[in-house]
Amino acid sequence: MAKPTPSPPIPNPSALTTFISSRPTTSATTLQVLHNLQYQHLWTSLKIHDLQTAFPISLVSGLPPHRVYTHPDEQLYMVEHGLREEDIELDRMFVLPTVQGEPWSLEKMAAVFDALPNIGEEGLRSETQPSDAVQGSAGADKAAKLAEYYEYRAKGHRTKEWGGKRLLLAMIDKGMGGEGTVVYYVVQEGTVKPRQN
Amino acid sequence: MNTNPELPIPISYIAGNYFIFSVDAATFLRREHNICGILAGTLPQVPQQNVFTGLPLELMPEEARFLVEEGVACIVDEVNFQKQGMQSLVEEDCKKYLKELESQGIETMQMLLRHKERQKEGALKKIAEKKATKAKKAELKQAASDATADDSASPFFEDSQPSTPSQVSSRRSSTLGSRDAMRITPAISHPPLPQQPPAEHLLPLPQVPSSYPLFAHLHSKGYFLFPGLRFGCQYLAYPGDPLRFHSHFLVVSTLWDEELDLMKIISGGRLGTGVKKGFLIGGTDKNLEESSDAGSNVRTFSIEWAGM
Repeated sequence: MAKPTPSPPIPNPSALTTFISSRPTTSATTLQVLHNLQYQHLWTSLKIHDLQTAFPISLVSGLPPHRVYTHPDEQLYMVEHGLREEDIELDRMFVLPTVQGEPWSLEKMAAVFDALPNIGEEGLRSETQPSDAVQGSAGADKAAKLAEYYEYRAKGHRTKEWGGKRLLLAMIDKGMGGEGTVVYYVVQEGTVKPRQN
Repeated sequence: MNTNPELPIPISYIAGNYFIFSVDAATFLRREHNICGILAGTLPQVPQQNVFTGLPLELMPEEARFLVEEGVACIVDEVNFQKQGMQSLVEEDCKKYLKELESQGIETMQMLLRHKERQKEGALKKIAEKKATKAKKAELKQAASDATADDSASPFFEDSQPSTPSQVSSRRSSTLGSRDAMRITPAISHPPLPQQPPAEHLLPLPQVPSSYPLFAHLHSKGYFLFPGLRFGCQYLAYPGDPLRFHSHFLVVSTLWDEELDLMKIISGGRLGTGVKKGFLIGGTDKNLEESSDAGSNVRTFSIEWAGM
């Protein structure tokens, strides 16, 4: 006796789904990570890089709103020289998108790292100049300290004193429909001592 | 204290495990070769006490292998060596050895007695001094109040003068017989067995798991490696002696093209970050040339939680 209720209207696809279906040539995993970086973590100038390795892998790179990783020795240097994290210009960070359950191996990891540009080389340095022009004698002092820091860091990049190549490993969960969580881990080549969290 | 043991150090292979029984060898390996091992010995009287363990030192097969490859140690089939060694001892050697043990026991006993005497003397001296100062004070007081009565204190403390006990007891200790000798339980079996076992009791290189190249690689970088059961990994890597440093890495080895569950990286990385360590994953790169020193063709990656 109950009349068949009219079937509810199909809901609009989510922003993420729309985004993914708008770029059919790129892997959905890569796009989901990019989307997450852009809207949850507020990264800017995001790019997708297709790596020419034995395995088809695409990386995402971008500028985080604040530093994601500081080597413990670098942190010590900054404290000793009175530098704060905000003073230092941000580096372009590479992100490796993966899915839970994806077959992975040491060989693949090494292939990704081999394809990465060396730390401190062109492509890593951000395009934006230090935004706020510092004024006065205090500013000049800071600028000198910063210049010293950049010089020291460039040297450190060669000796790997402050760690070698690094990237963020992003993993998403596509089982159970995927609940949108993306986890991020810092991966570095070699034995890099842990941070003092 | 820098007593260097005779090389190569014999590592006893007993029931599938590698042991070091000599204190000198154990300290030498820790000091000079960054090899700590695990102290595995409990007291015979209190075997359930397992917090403060002592000798023997148990080595991981990787550690034993590394030491043999370095030419620092050799592996000894201890069971056969002991059995045959003891059987081939001549009656005379046995007697000589027992005699030696006995004289060692007497020596120890004498030392002990001398030590006791010295303690006693010291204590007596202290008491005498105390009494003397007390008496002096009393004397002064009395002298002030009554000048005539002054012989009450002095005979009392003259009595308590030590009556040269050292001479008496040293005479006693020099006449210690074999019955008074302290019973000595030797911790090592050389002598009577030779320090370096004959070649027929030596074993080939220890069998090691596939993680050995990674072990050798980290060890060559100066890390001290411990078994990693406590953190669910293969090794714990310390940047220096574990008594002075916290460990830096939870180490897991994997083959170059072995399929790796990404969840392992996440769980290891998350646990490591939670205990202020990094998660280190590594293995032998098949594309790199294998050179003479093990571990030179290993690639490693350190992983930490990004906190975002």
